[in-house]
Amino acid sequence: MSDFFGLAIWVVGMVAGVCFVTSNLIRGSFLKYFFLNLYVLLSMFADLSRQYTLRVFGLNSDQYYYAYYYTDCLLTIALFVAVISLASRVFDELNLVKYVRIVAILLLLGTAGFSYAVVAQSSERLSTSFANELSQNLYFVGLVLTYLLWGAVLKLKETRTRLVQMILSLGLYFSAYAGSYALLNLAPKYEVVQYLAPILGCFLPISWALTIMRYTEDSRLTPARLVAVPR
Amino acid sequence: MSRKLGVLALALGILVGAMELKTLVTNHGKAAVIMANGVSPVPPPRL
Repeated sequence: MSDFFGLAIWVVGMVAGVCFVTSNLIRGSFLKYFFLNLYVLLSMFADLSRQYTLRVFGLNSDQYYYAYYYTDCLLTIALFVAVISLASRVFDELNLVKYVRIVAILLLLGTAGFSYAVVAQSSERLSTSFANELSQNLYFVGLVLTYLLWGAVLKLKETRTRLVQMILSLGLYFSAYAGSYALLNLAPKYEVVQYLAPILGCFLPISWALTIMRYTEDSRLTPARLVAVPR
Repeated sequence: MSRKLGVLALALGILVGAMELKTLVTNHGKAAVIMANGVSPVPPPRL
């Protein structure tokens, strides 16, 4: 990846992260969306440490490889917790928060157990393979959860604009990664495809920051309007 | 009791669905990673 473009994307992502956390602090929503803020803060710290490792050791080094995938595992767990926190808010009025938490714990334990069962067969270094496998599996669990959550938003006729837009952003983010994976398989030789994952990394903090800046906690919309209307 | 079993069934359903989806996607691809968080470049895969 070109050094300049890589650095430019990194700067945009960091600025978007700072914007999201700052706008939350200014609008008094930091604690209300604590786990989303935690994910963005962890993502910024992870990117700082990755950038340091990249500058010191280089892209092809073992150090960067391990730094990238260990922090990625941590971030995927944080993103999973962020999805669960949004689910808790959606099901808050139905008094189902307790059950959402139980499902989350079962999913995390189940995914960790499944990942361990897969890597236990491997002869490679166990901790690295486990981190890699857990990240991948949790990514798919997060993807399925987000789509279920979107279904619940439509079914429950959720009207809180911030909540609806944050869940939609997550759905787009997960789907876009799946799309970038398809492109990576179709055209692995093109350098532009290598930029997709870092560019997508900017999407979540930018869309969340715009949501916090544009709407207040009292803003309402009708999600039914987002669904195709039968003619 | 039925609610607890429902919660367990839901968690298992999500887990099985997610793993099915993962198998479906990764079996048809050669690229190393699908997940990535943050804005740093993805390191090349280890062979």
